[in-house]
Amino acid sequence: MSETSKFTEDILTAARSKARDIIGKADTETQSASEEARAGISREVDDIIRNARAEAEAVKRREISEARHRSKLQEQREKNAILSEVLDQTKKRVVDMTKDESRYFPYLTALIEVGIRELGHETALVHLNEADLRKVDRTMLERQLAKELGRTIKIDWAKEPVEAMGGAVISSSDGKTRIVNTLDQRFDALEPKLLIEARKSLFGE
Amino acid sequence: MSGVETVKIIVDAEKQAAKIIEDAQNRALQIRKRIDSSIRDQRQEMLSTARKDASEMIQQAEDEGKSEAEIYEKESAQRIRELVTSASAKKASTVEMLVNILFQSEK
Repeated sequence: MSETSKFTEDILTAARSKARDIIGKADTETQSASEEARAGISREVDDIIRNARAEAEAVKRREISEARHRSKLQEQREKNAILSEVLDQTKKRVVDMTKDESRYFPYLTALIEVGIRELGHETALVHLNEADLRKVDRTMLERQLAKELGRTIKIDWAKEPVEAMGGAVISSSDGKTRIVNTLDQRFDALEPKLLIEARKSLFGE
Repeated sequence: MSGVETVKIIVDAEKQAAKIIEDAQNRALQIRKRIDSSIRDQRQEMLSTARKDASEMIQQAEDEGKSEAEIYEKESAQRIRELVTSASAKKASTVEMLVNILFQSEK
């Protein structure tokens, strides 16, 4: 080989080598960029799947939770309807019971006695409802009250009836102090207890 | 070989070498360009698949939830019916008990 040929061959060999380096570098760079990009994309994919899992779990929980809530409300509505009916029936039964003197008379006596004690006066004005004003033996009631109180109290009976299922309103002679011991008031006052007992009896709560 | 001819051969060789390097640089440029679009396509495809999977996963969970909720509500409705039947049978005795509570409250 001539000197010239050797020289030109060296030039081309060096050029080919440099070309290989340029392409090799580009390959290395792209491979590295590709791996880096793939890792980044994988992280994005993982995020999407992780968020979807959490959302899926929440969606499922929400469906079941809403069903539970709907059922609970339905159960509560049914229970309330039964409780309401039982309280209404109890009121009607109480009105019926006021016609049973043997049962009602001691109760009415107790209501008036408590009222007089709370009033703490030597005289009391007692208001009854229309039916009781008609049927109650007031002389016997006064006697029974004196016995229960252990002393005689002057009792005046109001002529105007009170609007109530039964029981009495006990007031001072001047009407300034009033103790309301009607059945309606007792019912209202005892309603929380009645509801608790009714729940126990009806639903075992 | 004359001196002129020798110079011409060398100049040609250098031109050829420059062409080889230029071609390599062009190819490297193409490789770099290709990787950008390749990464873009790959990302789009992978994210699209992931989003589709995610959507299916959520839909499946919703279906499962609805199905479980339906079963729960059926069982609950049956339980409420039994509760109402049982409570209805106790209404009369409960009313008597409440009347007794009321009447004994001042004794």
